[in-house]
Amino acid sequence: MKTERWESLKDLLHQAMLLAPEKRDSFLDKVCSSDRSLRGELESLLAAEEDLRSSFMQSPTLADELLAGAGNPVSDGKLSPAQTFAQRFRLIRRLGQGGMGQVWLAEQISPVRRQVALKLIKAGMYDEAVVRRFRSERQALAIMDHPAIAKVFDAGTTEQGQPFFVMEYVPGVPITDYCDQKTFTIGQRLELFAHVCEGVQHAHQKAIIHRDLKPANILVVEVDGKPVPRIIDFGLAKAVAAKADDETMFTQLGSFVGTPGFMSPEQADPTSVDIDTRTDMYSLGVVLYVLLTGVLPLDVSIRGQPLAETLRKLREEEPQRPSTRVSSDCASSTAAATARGTEPAQLVGLLRGDLDWITMKALEKDRARRYGTPSELAADIHRYLNHEPVLARPAAVSYRLRKYARRHRVGVSVAVVLALLLVGFTVLQAAQLRRTTRERDRANRERDRATRITDFMTGMFNVSDPDQARGNSITAREVLDKASSSINQSLQNDPDLRAQLLMAMGRVYDNLGLYSQAQSLHQSALDIRQRIFGPKNFATLGAAEEVSWDLSQLGRYQEAENLSRSALDVARQALGPDDPYTLNAMYNRGWILGLQGRFGEAEQVDRETVDRRRRVLGPENRDTLNAMNNLAEALQDQGKYAEAVALQQQTLAIQRKVLGPDAQGAVDTMTNLGVSLSAEQHYAEAEKLYRDALDIDRRVLGPEAPNTLRIRLDLAVNLHEQHRFAESEMLDSQTLEIARRVLGSTHPHVLAVMNNIALTLENDGKYRESENVYRQLIELERNTYGPDDPRTLATSESLGEVLMDQNRLTEAKKILEDTVVVERRVLGSDNPATSLTIYNLACIAARSQRPQEALSLLSDAVEHHLKPESMLQIDQDTDLKSLHRNPKFATIVARAKAKAAGQQKLN
Amino acid sequence: MPDELSSQVTKLLERWRQGDEKAPAELVPLLYQELRRLAHYHLRSERPDHTLQSTALVHEAYLRLVGSASVPQDRAHFIAVASRLMRQILVDYARGRAASKRDGGCRIMLDDLDAMGIDGDSDLLALDDALSELSRIDERQGKIVEMKFFGGLSAPEISETLGISRATVDRDWATARVWLHRQMSRKEKV
Repeated sequence: MKTERWESLKDLLHQAMLLAPEKRDSFLDKVCSSDRSLRGELESLLAAEEDLRSSFMQSPTLADELLAGAGNPVSDGKLSPAQTFAQRFRLIRRLGQGGMGQVWLAEQISPVRRQVALKLIKAGMYDEAVVRRFRSERQALAIMDHPAIAKVFDAGTTEQGQPFFVMEYVPGVPITDYCDQKTFTIGQRLELFAHVCEGVQHAHQKAIIHRDLKPANILVVEVDGKPVPRIIDFGLAKAVAAKADDETMFTQLGSFVGTPGFMSPEQADPTSVDIDTRTDMYSLGVVLYVLLTGVLPLDVSIRGQPLAETLRKLREEEPQRPSTRVSSDCASSTAAATARGTEPAQLVGLLRGDLDWITMKALEKDRARRYGTPSELAADIHRYLNHEPVLARPAAVSYRLRKYARRHRVGVSVAVVLALLLVGFTVLQAAQLRRTTRERDRANRERDRATRITDFMTGMFNVSDPDQARGNSITAREVLDKASSSINQSLQNDPDLRAQLLMAMGRVYDNLGLYSQAQSLHQSALDIRQRIFGPKNFATLGAAEEVSWDLSQLGRYQEAENLSRSALDVARQALGPDDPYTLNAMYNRGWILGLQGRFGEAEQVDRETVDRRRRVLGPENRDTLNAMNNLAEALQDQGKYAEAVALQQQTLAIQRKVLGPDAQGAVDTMTNLGVSLSAEQHYAEAEKLYRDALDIDRRVLGPEAPNTLRIRLDLAVNLHEQHRFAESEMLDSQTLEIARRVLGSTHPHVLAVMNNIALTLENDGKYRESENVYRQLIELERNTYGPDDPRTLATSESLGEVLMDQNRLTEAKKILEDTVVVERRVLGSDNPATSLTIYNLACIAARSQRPQEALSLLSDAVEHHLKPESMLQIDQDTDLKSLHRNPKFATIVARAKAKAAGQQKLN
Repeated sequence: MPDELSSQVTKLLERWRQGDEKAPAELVPLLYQELRRLAHYHLRSERPDHTLQSTALVHEAYLRLVGSASVPQDRAHFIAVASRLMRQILVDYARGRAASKRDGGCRIMLDDLDAMGIDGDSDLLALDDALSELSRIDERQGKIVEMKFFGGLSAPEISETLGISRATVDRDWATARVWLHRQMSRKEKV
């Protein structure tokens, strides 16, 4: 091809490209006349152009370029003020230029005189199909009638066929500018925004989607001094969109209509075939985000980025939460805060928590997870303004499930959230119940001198038993330490008595939560008894049971389980399967299985215990009732909440009848039932139970008794679940104060409260403060329980998680790696706690773009007894999102679900 | 530290702005190193699905060397030179890979070409060939395409840089796309 020829060819080609397809042939006839090679050349180029046009999307710049300067004779450049337009309108002045065309202020002359806004659709954006569609949209648009929506009066076409809309003239300012100019506070902005939502809701009910919601389309006017929003351009995008068969944003010419900053992810997805009202939801979310923070959630300036990249970002990149964004983006936050009548730090505080959640829910990539309707969004905003709980806050169990899998081992009776709350509860509850079981069993039996002496001994040490103490447990501890060291020297001639003393002292250590010391004392007792009585002796078995309990408290589950299993076997053989003592051993075993996370097996064992005890001891026997409680916990742990609730209600009814409504057993069941009800989200009912339980224990045991304090903790958790955070935190701190004073700053209950407080803070988004409490807690636990104690380990795992929350991944990784080393050594690899730490390390790896590492860690966790609740939620964990496309991930998820189901099927 | 480099580049851009016709040539060696470095960094990135966008890279280079708070004219000039260099660098890279048939690694994406289905080393080489062919017939048009594809300059910026009218840019751009598309599809059939 020669250069000169190309010059003229180029020109002709360009002219032809500007014509509608059906007009091209005649044009070619005219310019080529008989020049066949020229015609052939042009035709092949035009064919290539057709090819290009029909491909999916083109850049806006291209389209703009193609269309700008398009020489349609009726085009916009020709309009001027005072000109008559479409016979009925007199143009006044041009208001602006939009993506679709010009907007003019005009005076309508007939049939009524009024000021209107004329929106012209520019040349190149319409053709016959568009015009036809346009006409059918008129009707739909005209029926909307809401104060927040600018009315569309009419739509029409000029003689030349150019479409235009006649709209209510809105002399307003974009909502974001308005709020900034007036330095509206967050509250004022939210009020205004809620009105906008209501308007959009109205339109949606009429099946009209805006598709291009953005501040420029949400104007604010003042009516009687009050700001009123008016949304303009409703439904215009659809009317102009040419493709009748699918509701995309792209016109036939390939230029796309939409403002990237406010486009929903599905609009940015070329493969998505339908746009529904939730697209508007997303845009509303973006507007909200800007109103709150002053910046867009995602940086989508087209400049410097190819379109494909912009759209990919829209589809895939997660925006930062508003509070995080403001606190990290110092450049804009001062200005933003000033425009909102506050300081940057305060602004962050205001946004953190519920406003974060509301905004992020509106901005969900997956439209199924957004608010369903604008009125839901408005409702949540109103809830926020009225200090009521907001629905957007993720249910802690699904959002945070993996976090709390550890909590139970801190020996805390309650954790902040549901499933884990249950497990935590299990420990202390089971401990209490077990303890009482043993005592009652022994009192009932009156078989053994040892029993009486033990009772006596325990009585002697009663002053240091925290359950009855009012003083500092450290003093008791000193006494105890002294006694336990001296006992080794004394009573060499009476090993029997010595063993009993060892047992008793061990029990006191247990009460103080010092399981390591308890274990060694109990082990010594066991050794003695095995030596003098042999393995099949009831006393020996009793000691074995104590040791197994201590081991379980130390997290040495496998050893505990081994011991409990052999104790059970011995008891079965020696005493028979229905002997109450055998049933104790069975009860014990069931509980330990629960601790190991083998909930299905635990349920089996517990059921057998309940059945046998019912038959042997009677349905109203205390031991039977305890076993029922244990079974209920095993059910809770598997998520079978409905069954658990039924069982607990049954148990409670019997306890009240048989033991009296104020019995401690009844109180324990009440709190347990509260946990199950909370799992089914009947928070108010649960709250009532907690309050009743608290009243009883306050009255019967005293307001500062450890058990009373424990119930206060439970109640605080319940309030937290109802999003009554202020009350919850206050209750927790009061309880902490009392507990410190009464029990000493290292008492398990005190540490438990601290743990709860840290959890509450964490769940509330106050990560720094939470981190501080965890760090204090670790120190205390290290000094009190030792660095290898499961509770210390659990807390360092929590610390790791709260660092993850703050995106301090390197630090979190270090801590979790150190923790997992100890866990493997102390707890073993097949332990839910160890697996949880590994799971968290997998999440860190996934977030740090190390997918192979993440997958291998995840697989490890799944293979080694990760908790069922966690296993079922792996595919919903946002931390692991970057792995979703990897086929190995799907394999692991399938395996995890199978395992979790398998564990549930074990019954 | 590209500080020294940065001030050299800035000075050259200023000279260009003031009319020194020799400035662009002096910019080339300075930019080439920096762009190659950046390109390599992105191309060698460990993420297997990493996508290299030429214009993003050019933009990044601009920010590093000149900064964002400077004269828009300078930016356009910078990108005009950078886009040619980027084209060379990417084509070299693609040739290298095509030759050794290494798989995996980086996908190179060029602005606006998705619609044309350009996705992969051989496509890039085909584009390069087609573009060279076009430049032979119409040098200015080739420059325009280069600045758009590889540098992401807008029509007004191109018009400013080359000293031609906006309408010319638009027309050249629109027709170039069509011509290139045809050229490349023909090659395919062969």
